[in-house]
Amino acid sequence: MRVAVTGTPGTGKTTATELLDTTLDVIHLNDLITDAGLTIGHDDDRGSAIADLDAVRARLDGRTDILVESHLAHRIPADRVVVLRCHPEELEQRLADRGESEASITENAESEALDVILSEAVDRHGLDSVYEIETTERAPEGVAAEIKSVIAGTREPAAGTVSYTDYL
Amino acid sequence: MAEDETWGIAHVHASFNNTIITITDQTGAETIAKSSGGTVVKQNRDEASPYAAMQMAEEIAEDVQAQGIDGVHVRVRGPGGNQQTNPGPGAQATIRALARAGLEIGRIEDVTPIPHDGTRGPKNAGF
Ligand SMILES: Nc1ncnc2c1ncn2[C@@H]1O[C@H](COP(=O)(O)OP(=O)(O)O)[C@@H](O)[C@H]1O
Ligand SMILES: [Mg+2]
Repeated sequence: MRVAVTGTPGTGKTTATELLDTTLDVIHLNDLITDAGLTIGHDDDRGSAIADLDAVRARLDGRTDILVESHLAHRIPADRVVVLRCHPEELEQRLADRGESEASITENAESEALDVILSEAVDRHGLDSVYEIETTERAPEGVAAEIKSVIAGTREPAAGTVSYTDYL
Repeated sequence: MAEDETWGIAHVHASFNNTIITITDQTGAETIAKSSGGTVVKQNRDEASPYAAMQMAEEIAEDVQAQGIDGVHVRVRGPGGNQQTNPGPGAQATIRALARAGLEIGRIEDVTPIPHDGTRGPKNAGF
């Protein structure tokens, strides 16, 4: 089985998947993209490498028992898609603690408030394959446990269970 | 656009769960009218529906026209504006309803934020 763990930067994907006890191979997509140079250019305004998603898909082709962690993970084929959510105000705090720039914090918080990644995930994979997990005020260990229950099949699909439009 | 016309900006926030329409003056500083899906439908799950967006757009268009606005430039923020099959299809419905209610529609801009860290994705198909 292939599991994607996606969510706006700062929702805690890397932290939770590092704590996860699983037989799946965990792939931190940012590392793969950077190390293998799977990019099609650079966004100078945002300081971000633009991922070559065709190259990423080709690289992962044929690999089944993997868990792919990235805010782009929902853009590659997967059986189950976990979407981590975090209230934009807490997200701002987490990104500030991680040392991100003001511009980056603002744009990511707004993305989260507008459900950008959740919408893309549902659009590509359908409501039956998307598992939204609220991480606001939840410890990384608790988030890892929720991801584990998605992998085990003991959690129902869910989308649209949180609303952060009060932030806008 | 004629010189004696008064233009505003319609900011459409289209999320998975809701659509929020704010009409400001041309500078964006002064809010002339504001509406969200929750004010026109009873069920939470209907807040992002095209029906809610249409109801809101009709009401808000009437409101701002009474305040002297003739046309609006539209700034869409949110995935609801991007994808036809998306569950948040409020943006398209909003723009059509604003036009039907008699407002002139000027420039339509998609200013949806892009999630990013050290990497970002190539842009989705646009508006
Ligand atoms: N559940 C959580 N609660 C509070 N802070 C968290 C949580 N998960 C991660 N963090 C912190 O937030 C920041 C972003 O976490 P990270 O795992 O890097 O997010 P992502 O990989 O989704 O961008 C880090 O500083 C991390 O220590
Ligand atoms: Mg990460």
